[in-house]
Amino acid sequence: MSPSVLICDDSNMARKQVLRSLPEQWKTSAQTANNGAEALTLLRDNSIEVLFLDLTMPGIDGIGVLQGIKKLNLNCSVFVISADIQPEMQAKVKALGAKEFIRKPVKPDVLINHLQQHGLL
Amino acid sequence: MSEFHLTEDQQDCLQELINIAMGQASDQLARYLDTFVYLKVPSIESIDAKDLLQTLSQQQNTMAVVSQGFFGYEGIRGEALLSYQEEDSGRIGDLLGYEPDELSQDEQLIDISSILTTTFLNVFARQIDNQMSYNAPKLLPSVQNCLSEHLQEMTFNWDLALKININYQVTDYSFNCNMILLIPETAIINIKKVLDRILAEF
Repeated sequence: MSPSVLICDDSNMARKQVLRSLPEQWKTSAQTANNGAEALTLLRDNSIEVLFLDLTMPGIDGIGVLQGIKKLNLNCSVFVISADIQPEMQAKVKALGAKEFIRKPVKPDVLINHLQQHGLL
Repeated sequence: MSEFHLTEDQQDCLQELINIAMGQASDQLARYLDTFVYLKVPSIESIDAKDLLQTLSQQQNTMAVVSQGFFGYEGIRGEALLSYQEEDSGRIGDLLGYEPDELSQDEQLIDISSILTTTFLNVFARQIDNQMSYNAPKLLPSVQNCLSEHLQEMTFNWDLALKININYQVTDYSFNCNMILLIPETAIINIKKVLDRILAEF
């Protein structure tokens, strides 16, 4: 059984990059969101188990989404995939409950490795 | 829509390449200054030469602009302009940890600009299998005539340029720096080719 997956990034290319890095059986059911607000709606109304989340987005950014997940008390494994690689930012997203920080551009072997480490594969 | 304008896909692809370059440049800056840099989504637009000068001179309290030309393979070239606000002038020495009189304020501005420009463009170039060379950075006092002269002196055709605006905001010091990359027409065509090549892989 593949989990329900959401990819949130304001860039179409970045969403595709994540999508094609996913395990084969996850690809068909993965949903996408262009921004933080859309992601929070999907997270609230669907039981999303795994979220791949960008940080720098217009409107509600990745930090806003992480805060929203906490506030709504949602049970979801979040993997942040971002270009904002500053150590302080990596620590911040982990403190807000993200499982991992993955630097952009994402590579399939790195992503799969992280999913395995967290028992999702 | 002219041949110099980017399609939606090309714009999206360029924006993502810029995001990654901006992220690494900010990380360098953050390490160098031992602080945190707040990132915003960069903006990309096409701009006429006459509007460009107006935009640049309209930025309030701009104290100085550091300009550095860059050129890579496949005809990819342009000019990076880093602009600083007046109220930040006294903070730059503090930020860089220089002793008073160690380096002039002008030299400090050139230092920090060069770090940002070369880190950004090296990461950008690496992603498109390119490599950049740089001219020596040049400090322009932000007197309108001076800026205008400088832009006219460039060997580019500036009828239309791609204006990429990236804001680096150092939170602890409320220090702000704007990076504007100007890509002239011929180079836009060359960048579009590179972007199409990347997009074809998706």
